[in-house]
Amino acid sequence: MIIANYIGAVLLMFLGLYTIIMKKHLIKIVMGMCLMDYGVNLLIVSIGFNPGGTAPIFTISELDPGAFFVDPVPQALTLTSIVIGACVMAMALSIVIKIKQKYKTLDAGRIRRLNG
Amino acid sequence: MIQHFPILSIMSLFLGSFLIVIFGGKNRFIRNSLAVLFSAIPLVLICCLIKPILIDGEIFSYWMGDWEPVSGFAIGIGLEVDALSLFFALLVVLTIFLAAVFSLKYMSRDDALDKYYTLFLMLGGGVLGLVLSGDLFNMYIMVEILTFASVALTAFRNWGKGSLEAAFKYLVVGSIGSAFILTGVILIYAQVHTLSLAQISALLATEGLTPATIFGFALLFAGYATKAYIVPFHPVAADAYMTAPSSISMVFSGMVNKAGIYGMIRLVYMVFQAMSQSAMQYIIVILGCLTMFIGVTMALSQHDFKRLLAFHSISQIGYVLTAVGLATALGISGGLYHALNHTLFKGLLFLCAGAVFYSVGSTDLDKLGGLAKKMPQTTIIFLIGAFSISGLPPFNGFMSKWMIYQAAYEKAALEGSFFYALVTIVGLLVSVLTLASFIKVTQSVFFGQLAPGCEKAKEVPFSMRWPMWLMAILCVLTGLFPGFVNRYLVVPASAAAIDTTGYIDAMMGAGYGQQLGLSPETALSLEYELTGYWDPIAWLVLFVVLLAGLMISLGLGKASRGPVRRPVPADPKYDTFFGGEASQHSHVGGSDLFWGLKHNLRHYFRFMHSMHSGVVNDYALWTVAGTAVIILFMILFL
Repeated sequence: MIIANYIGAVLLMFLGLYTIIMKKHLIKIVMGMCLMDYGVNLLIVSIGFNPGGTAPIFTISELDPGAFFVDPVPQALTLTSIVIGACVMAMALSIVIKIKQKYKTLDAGRIRRLNG
Repeated sequence: MIQHFPILSIMSLFLGSFLIVIFGGKNRFIRNSLAVLFSAIPLVLICCLIKPILIDGEIFSYWMGDWEPVSGFAIGIGLEVDALSLFFALLVVLTIFLAAVFSLKYMSRDDALDKYYTLFLMLGGGVLGLVLSGDLFNMYIMVEILTFASVALTAFRNWGKGSLEAAFKYLVVGSIGSAFILTGVILIYAQVHTLSLAQISALLATEGLTPATIFGFALLFAGYATKAYIVPFHPVAADAYMTAPSSISMVFSGMVNKAGIYGMIRLVYMVFQAMSQSAMQYIIVILGCLTMFIGVTMALSQHDFKRLLAFHSISQIGYVLTAVGLATALGISGGLYHALNHTLFKGLLFLCAGAVFYSVGSTDLDKLGGLAKKMPQTTIIFLIGAFSISGLPPFNGFMSKWMIYQAAYEKAALEGSFFYALVTIVGLLVSVLTLASFIKVTQSVFFGQLAPGCEKAKEVPFSMRWPMWLMAILCVLTGLFPGFVNRYLVVPASAAAIDTTGYIDAMMGAGYGQQLGLSPETALSLEYELTGYWDPIAWLVLFVVLLAGLMISLGLGKASRGPVRRPVPADPKYDTFFGGEASQHSHVGGSDLFWGLKHNLRHYFRFMHSMHSGVVNDYALWTVAGTAVIILFMILFL
């Protein structure tokens, strides 16, 4: 079951990279960045998952050495990563809006005043 | 109290940025004083740490919220400050403070300055947090903060030519790099189930590297290489340095790429302890040599002041990387010394470019000229920076480059390898090309005829000049007293870079490494001496004598030089030099001083130009391809 997660995560990351490299439209490039981010997030959650484990919510008295639960650290990491990803997307899209106003195009092949 | 200083210095930068959001919007005075105050506090706090860490050799460990390790397992987020961290932290706080002071006047013609200072302090906090952190995921968070802030600052002058597209390219390539770092972090976590650098280092040393850890390591390495802008990842850096305001370019080249270099040093030396393998040394040295060579040749063909400086910045980072990759005591010391010098002279040169932009309003080399008469102090400061970067004795660049050449040559002799001898030659060649291209810049910006449009140029105000003077003086001092700098800054930092056991024990409790079966001795000894350890003062005297001689001969020659008035024909400068009859009348612009070289190597330059196409997809492709090569290499050879 969990292997499907890993395959999905890697697939999402590769699709994201493919979109960034091959698509000329700036919005699509931003979507590629999103996809890559989601792939990484899926990978993180999958790594912390223990089949059959309970939710990692305990008080001190309940916690005994035999407790079997999913790893809480990757979940915290995912939350952080999702927040960062959302910020990056907002930033990317706002830059795209400004580029559209200034260059009158969203074609990456024509937004290349800085080269050489 | 003093063990709280690292976290307080990081917090003061972030706190400053929040306070500026709240109080800095209306009043100019409050905003400026908040910015200067909150960038000065970390400078003071970090300087207080010099005595215990660099001189007495302590290592500070600090668990946030006092979450100490439980039964040998790190559960909290830790800060760890050893001499290597402190060395880079000193560069960061110095750069941040000087750039803040320089910004006060330099940015005064822009609006929305509260946002500028907010992002500026956030950028500083990100880099400082990265170098002081002892936690792999915390390093990733700081990388994201600094990327985010740098992108926003690159786009800050969005009326300027190309700043928006530079920001977008930076964001795309930067977030690919960040995604690689995050994937690397999580792969390492899946193997060792901890995020503390010290514990990862201890566990990996006992368990050895598995293919999964090597894959994670390669991703982390490539991710931090993206942040250090080494060669396959560098085109965005040139765009960003060029279009950002000069104070920000200084911050980028002074500390943002140092953050990447710090991450790489920390990972390869400490966390993965991979530097003892010759394959690892080869790949770092190859990447470093490529970076310095491609950087400097790209710089030769630039027509924009700041873009040229940007390519030089990339090229100098190549020196640091090459030296660090040699994995000898002299190599690490030379690399760190060059990192320090790079911060000083590159920051200085970017500030000079900013001063020129402030008084003329352009950084196009074809539109500048003859500014030495209008801006004498800036010219002197620029010359000090240019001499330093080109490695002329007695300035600081000479000292560190000398150490690097010697380290490479020593390595070649030690291993009997032709490759490392070649590295020395590449280093020398790049240094010559650097000098050549700075002759071109100096000639076309500060000397020669006064260009039209530069008549109204004035010397920049005092508040912009004194940060430049301070850095210029530091450039000269670090060149004149290399023994002092080595003893108190570079050698402790190099010792810390290879002292894995001390780092682990300071964080996880004494004896933790030995419990796991690590031997306490370090891999390298720092005993080295420089052949021909030279006397900088003698060079200074020679330099002054030569300068005086030059001035006198120039003064004498002036009277006899009559004006030359001959008709100038079309453009025979590309003709073959047999007789040279026609070409002696050809006019070569100051910004085109090396047309002969460029003409002869036109195929190479055309190829490089087509590589730096300016299309964001291509840059993303170079990033991914470079990462793929690094991963493949490491999996095959480590």
